[in-house]
Amino acid sequence: MVKHSHRMSSSVTEPFLAVRDLTVTLSREGRPSRVIDGITFDMLPGEVVALVGESGSGKTSIGLTLQGLLPRDYQPLVGGSIRLAGIELVGAASRTWRSVRRRLVRAIPQDPMGALNPTMTIRHQMRESNGGSIEGWLSRTGLPDPGRIADALPHRLSGGQRQRVLIAMAMMARPKLLIADEPTTALDVTVQAQILDLLRALTREQQTAILFVTHDLNVAASLADRVLILYAGRIVEMGRMQDVARNAAHPYSIGLLAARYDLDSDRRRPLITLPFEHVPPVNLASACAYAQRCPIAQLDCTAIRPSLAAASAHGGAAACLHQGQTRFVSAQRVDAKPWPAPAIQATAALRLHNVSKTYPTGNRSFWGRQSQPVLRSVSLTIKLGECVALVGESGAGKSTLLRIAAGLVMPEGGTVTRFDKALPQVVFQDPVAALTPWLTIGEQIGERLRGVSRDSDYARRRVGEAMKLVGLDPVLMDTLPAEMSVGQCQRAVLARAVIVPPRLLLCDEPISAMDVSLAATTLNLLSDLRRRLDMAMLFVTHDLAAARIIADRIAVLKDGELVEVADPDAIVAAPQSAYTRSLIAAMPGPQGGGRR
Amino acid sequence: MLAYLAKSIVGAVVVLLMMSLIVFGLQSVIPADPARAIAGPNAPPETVEAVRKELGLDDPAIIQYGRFLSRLAHADLGTSVRTRRPVSDDIRQYLPATLELGLASIALGVALALVMAVLQFLIPGSGGIRLLMVGVGSTPIFLSALLLSYFFWFRFDWLPGAGRLGYRDFAGPTGLNVIDGILLGRPEVSVDALRHLLLPALALALPIGIAVGRSLNGALHEVMSEPYVRTARGKGLSETKVLLRHGLRNAATAPLSMLGLQVRLLFGNLLIVERVFGWPGLGLYTVQAFASADLPAVLGVAIVFGILYILVNTLIEIGQSMADPRINL
Repeated sequence: MVKHSHRMSSSVTEPFLAVRDLTVTLSREGRPSRVIDGITFDMLPGEVVALVGESGSGKTSIGLTLQGLLPRDYQPLVGGSIRLAGIELVGAASRTWRSVRRRLVRAIPQDPMGALNPTMTIRHQMRESNGGSIEGWLSRTGLPDPGRIADALPHRLSGGQRQRVLIAMAMMARPKLLIADEPTTALDVTVQAQILDLLRALTREQQTAILFVTHDLNVAASLADRVLILYAGRIVEMGRMQDVARNAAHPYSIGLLAARYDLDSDRRRPLITLPFEHVPPVNLASACAYAQRCPIAQLDCTAIRPSLAAASAHGGAAACLHQGQTRFVSAQRVDAKPWPAPAIQATAALRLHNVSKTYPTGNRSFWGRQSQPVLRSVSLTIKLGECVALVGESGAGKSTLLRIAAGLVMPEGGTVTRFDKALPQVVFQDPVAALTPWLTIGEQIGERLRGVSRDSDYARRRVGEAMKLVGLDPVLMDTLPAEMSVGQCQRAVLARAVIVPPRLLLCDEPISAMDVSLAATTLNLLSDLRRRLDMAMLFVTHDLAAARIIADRIAVLKDGELVEVADPDAIVAAPQSAYTRSLIAAMPGPQGGGRR
Repeated sequence: MLAYLAKSIVGAVVVLLMMSLIVFGLQSVIPADPARAIAGPNAPPETVEAVRKELGLDDPAIIQYGRFLSRLAHADLGTSVRTRRPVSDDIRQYLPATLELGLASIALGVALALVMAVLQFLIPGSGGIRLLMVGVGSTPIFLSALLLSYFFWFRFDWLPGAGRLGYRDFAGPTGLNVIDGILLGRPEVSVDALRHLLLPALALALPIGIAVGRSLNGALHEVMSEPYVRTARGKGLSETKVLLRHGLRNAATAPLSMLGLQVRLLFGNLLIVERVFGWPGLGLYTVQAFASADLPAVLGVAIVFGILYILVNTLIEIGQSMADPRINL
């Protein structure tokens, strides 16, 4: 692979991608905001560069800018320079862009479910990419029976199969640059590992450079040669992957690294998180964008904008005025107080007995649809005050089980017994979608108070208390969901669920769409709430590490059957079923960096 | 597919039965007395009574309905009060003209919708097209038909403004003059038929084009920001290709539904437009039937329109499943 010294010596010849002082301004509803703010970096052929940052840091916008595909509705303004294979792309004609997209730059999208045209067969969609035999490329991505896949419509394929199709579609054009925007986030862990392997092999073969956009440092570390850490549209640190993972120089990188959790994290105390999240402040022309969250910020941080300078800790660069002090960031990480033990009672909050459910699938025949079992005789008990995590891959029946527990879906067989007559509260995956856009946060939280006028002092006080409980400033009571960040929306959803504390809280993948630090914050919040309000909890996730951290017991679901129910540490240390073992083996480890 | 067709035929029969019930009920509720109408306004009560007996109008309702159904099954829709001919003969005579006009206006409307939606999409900030659409859309059909007739016929005399055809005694196998002209090797007849067709078809096509066009435009805007359109653009396809190959087909479902709704309104509009342009079709026939309280004729036309409506909607559902193969009929 490319060595550091080689990069220095090759600076005479132009790297095939040179981004200089790139700025992008998007206008939403007439308000311009600078999403990318003066970014400079190079890429060499065959190099894998990870672009890491929280949601809203502008990492997806960089990928779209490099393809010239920023959404037209936002009236994008691009400044600076992008030179790709000697072609200047900023201000280029759309004809130039099209030829660049045809030959040089391809992308693999985040969500393979939506990225294929639902009304066209795979073959017709792949034919639009020039180059090679379609079946040949499909089989190179490890898809069995490529002929059948080529003639299928996208909705007949699984998420992993679609992502392979998209990879084949991108690679068959033999691009020089592949932009992979969180290509594995929507996939199960076992599939994720295979897709990463595939990307590694294909790019090595064709000397394609990858810009790997991700919020997950563990995934980045397993693939990338170099890393760019992005915060609020600026690069705050760049360097070789291993260097940054071991000796990060910027306080933000240190925070991101520390917020990672895996199967070895300490589950008896709160996870380490980044300081309180804000809506990322952009447009700070003369300040460090991270200053408001930085634990070592000083007065000058809000007066001077730091530029990228050689990092003291490694061979890369960092944008921090006080690089010398970053070691104190680590020192400040005093271990938090351990969680108090949850008060688990013997009575069951929820008892599922031999629950089964089928869904219609496949072609409709004259006699109706065939039905496919999603749950076969599942029995699970959650005691009062206990948290049980339900782990499994997509299609295992997790969400159906949760909906049955919530009373939203009726089981076809078996019984559901709840301790409480009131239905349990549910927290869904997408907090923004779970809030009504035209009602204020306060109105939505207060809706659960029955028989109280929503404007009464009593209602406002109760709403304020609920918001404080979840760490939301009650001042936000009168804001609309669109004005808040994803993290704040998630807190609002939780406040709505706990304003009248339920005996049972059901969480359906509440962290799967979140970046690491937000996920850690949410896990801490849920752990805290369930102890304080004495709630039982069913936590559905595909992330074994998160399940281990939050739950008192883990239930592993595969193809509608529970294969294992046990104590979290026991499950990780000595998995009883082959399936659990494969889940653990597929967890992306920080191979590139040392475990802290 | 076969199962779907079987189901829609059963559905059509059920709908027809319900319609027949409504039609039959109307006959007995509406104050117009067919016996009096046949006997004439000055006939003595005994004559009216005799006619009533002859028509079987004093039998119990259920027997009358049974008789009504069996006549319906034999395509016997009764005798028109006005023309004194079987209603089914009248319909057979006037239906081709209406079919020709209706099909032409649907085709023209869909073409208008496509052009407007695609133009509006490819030319950003095309406020002019939008304004035009709102303007045309807010003009009631009796006014737009009159305006078209006034300017293009009366004022400038570019197009004929009345009737179906300048050639007398022309008759072809299908009854659709444009097609018959070609079939019989007389292209000049087809051209003349097209010229006659243009104004009334345009008047009928405008509301269809506006409604379907707006629906298509909205659907296109949604579809064109879908991730798979980004994938298509990412392959370096031109914007027109992206729109035609990936956009239109995925956006087709909603505008097709809208077309189905518009076809129902078309039946009502046919009455006005055929009247304005003197188009000798079912619409004009119905207007005249209204004027002379010709209940059998009105009800006969209603049943024909009902069948046509079911047919159109079945075709539209088949079209939707062809556009989106995930819709499994």
